[in-house]
Amino acid sequence: MTAATRVPAASRPRLVGRRPGLALLRLLRLELRHNAMPWVLPIAIGLFWLTTYRKGVAMPPLWNLRAAGLQLGAQLDFAVPVTGAAAWMGSREARRRVTDQVTVTVQPRWARLLAPWAATTIWAMLAYLGCTAVLYGVTAHQASWGGPLWWPAAVAAASLPAFSALGFVLGTFLPGRFTAPLAAIAAFFVLTLSTELIHGSQSYWNVSPIVTGPWDLGPQAGVATFYPFLPDLPIAQVMFLVGLTVALLGTLALPAGSGGRALRMVAAGLTGAGLLAAGTAVGLAGTGTMDAHGMIAIPALHDAASDQPLQFTPTCSHTAIPVCLNPAYAGYLSVTATALAPLLSQVAGLPGAPTRIVQDAMIYQQDAGDEVSIRPRSPGDILSSPVSHLVLPDQTQGQTMTAGQLASTVITTYGLQLVARVTGDGPGASQAQHAVAAALLRAAGGDEVIVTQPTSGPCRGPASAPSTRRSGPGRECASQSVGAARGTPAAAAAERFDALSAPVRHAWLVRHLAALRAGLVTLAELP
Amino acid sequence: MTGARLVRLYAVGRRVPFAVLAMAACAAGLRIALLGHWDAYGALQLPLVFEAAAAVSVVATVASPFGEPERVAGGWLPYLRLAVTVALTAAAIGLLAAASTGANLSGGSLDVLRNVAGITGIGLLCAAALGGGLSWTGPTGYLVAGVYALYTQWHPPALTTPWLWPARPPHDLGGAICAGLVFACGAAFVTVRGARDRPGDPAAG
Repeated sequence: MTAATRVPAASRPRLVGRRPGLALLRLLRLELRHNAMPWVLPIAIGLFWLTTYRKGVAMPPLWNLRAAGLQLGAQLDFAVPVTGAAAWMGSREARRRVTDQVTVTVQPRWARLLAPWAATTIWAMLAYLGCTAVLYGVTAHQASWGGPLWWPAAVAAASLPAFSALGFVLGTFLPGRFTAPLAAIAAFFVLTLSTELIHGSQSYWNVSPIVTGPWDLGPQAGVATFYPFLPDLPIAQVMFLVGLTVALLGTLALPAGSGGRALRMVAAGLTGAGLLAAGTAVGLAGTGTMDAHGMIAIPALHDAASDQPLQFTPTCSHTAIPVCLNPAYAGYLSVTATALAPLLSQVAGLPGAPTRIVQDAMIYQQDAGDEVSIRPRSPGDILSSPVSHLVLPDQTQGQTMTAGQLASTVITTYGLQLVARVTGDGPGASQAQHAVAAALLRAAGGDEVIVTQPTSGPCRGPASAPSTRRSGPGRECASQSVGAARGTPAAAAAERFDALSAPVRHAWLVRHLAALRAGLVTLAELP
Repeated sequence: MTGARLVRLYAVGRRVPFAVLAMAACAAGLRIALLGHWDAYGALQLPLVFEAAAAVSVVATVASPFGEPERVAGGWLPYLRLAVTVALTAAAIGLLAAASTGANLSGGSLDVLRNVAGITGIGLLCAAALGGGLSWTGPTGYLVAGVYALYTQWHPPALTTPWLWPARPPHDLGGAICAGLVFACGAAFVTVRGARDRPGDPAAG
């Protein structure tokens, strides 16, 4: 053995037979059969089911949400097992004390080491692709519009060879029984720690492959549904991961005895090129900022065509005033239309009432610190406009709502907005306006409807939809009263007006709404 | 004298000194982490990472470099396995608890005790089932599940099963029982049978 170490045959490789490619394939097949990764795959698949699949299918069937969840979750699920298994495989020769024996084989050491790395990566990739196929298959079955977003899936796929290479290199150069577990935990630690260092939307740490968008914003249903998905950040992340993988694999051939001089030169070149690519990707990621549509735009990688709104035919309800949503949100139409139907039948045809309610996109803005403000693209309804803009609660909330929560929130946000638009209720309005607004709200949604609506954004009128911040429901603008507070004379008048039948209320509004809006109606004059 | 020599040889053969070193590094890492100002994610999840790292350091000592010959010849082996495993687990808990003294560790020392013991138990069970070499697969996988369970505490629906004890409050009896049960089962398996180290297994690489 000592003699073999002194004169490494691997430095002068001699290929057996005439087909070296076939020999490498045989080597790969052997490594696939004797790899530790299949033993670890059940854990990765189990974690995927627990943390990614279950969470993903609980989200609304929107491609952007499911794809972002896949990119984040799949990497955390696979990083630990893949890094550990690769480290375990990398330390095999030293662990089994066969380094000297395999040194005399015909293949260069580099080729010999790349085979178990490739086998580990192939097993991991097969499992990942299977998991992705299931999640995307279910999403394709549930989603009403759009198609799979492949860039997030590509980032997660590109991370597998990188984690595998990281573990393999650690296992090769630091063999030992502690290497695999500590490498696996270190990979997880680095992944989770990387996001802790992100402040604001512009950060070099955005290159971390688990970052799917502005980190302070979190997953947003309103992103990439009205505007195209921006691949800028995923491109930089894939570039970083590929560069890292190449650099790590190149280091395997750097030690003396890994191959001939030419081979080591090539490996050094690959390592340098990989580091350069990874460094460039980090630099590019550092120039990215959140755009108005809630995604990271990197100037050097940005395609201006991506700033154009997506073209779609909205899906509309058959209510007294049609409610039209982006087809991606078609699943919300029934709940939204049902929640608003009583109110819409009350106000349809009245002066100031819209003839169509259209879902609006959101505008995102990075504020000071780690906060992000979100507001509707349309600042507010214009009374003369026949179109009113609706924002679904899921577009502004980080959390997914149940159907009941959604219906209630639609009434307490858009319902208030619509009533205020029609009656002119708001700060400085008359008591009669307060009473009529309260009565309409009760007729639409029940007694629990709130009567004070905090608004944000321009605050120019009652039509402003609420804005939210990721850190909580804090809203910027002063509160605005709509309706009548309990126990006041206006509330009593509202109860009286609410007791009327719907046709009678509607008929009275048709006749007196102009006077009501002008503040010429007193509480006593309300029926 | 012979007994002490036996313990020393066993400890060296199982890389116990390196395990203690690794646990000390985990404790130092936890201390450094506790100096920082973290958001809820970091404050709750980072300690679990160090606890899991300490636990896998304990579990990594279970693998036998000798296999069957030692099993046949070593009459004191079960006692050595139990003693070293329990002692290392206690050392890991002690080191991490000491590192968090005077700092604001989420969950406190009770959390450390429960999490380290439970995760070590998972590793011991994996050692009995898969072999000492792959004993880390369970604890590291459980780390991801535990971190996710913590995440669901403020991103519902929450995972509240006591089997995911890192997400339970430190005084929660269910979580403590589950973690204790897993540790007891793992220690019992490893004491009686040792790690399943058979050179022919594909998992043995």
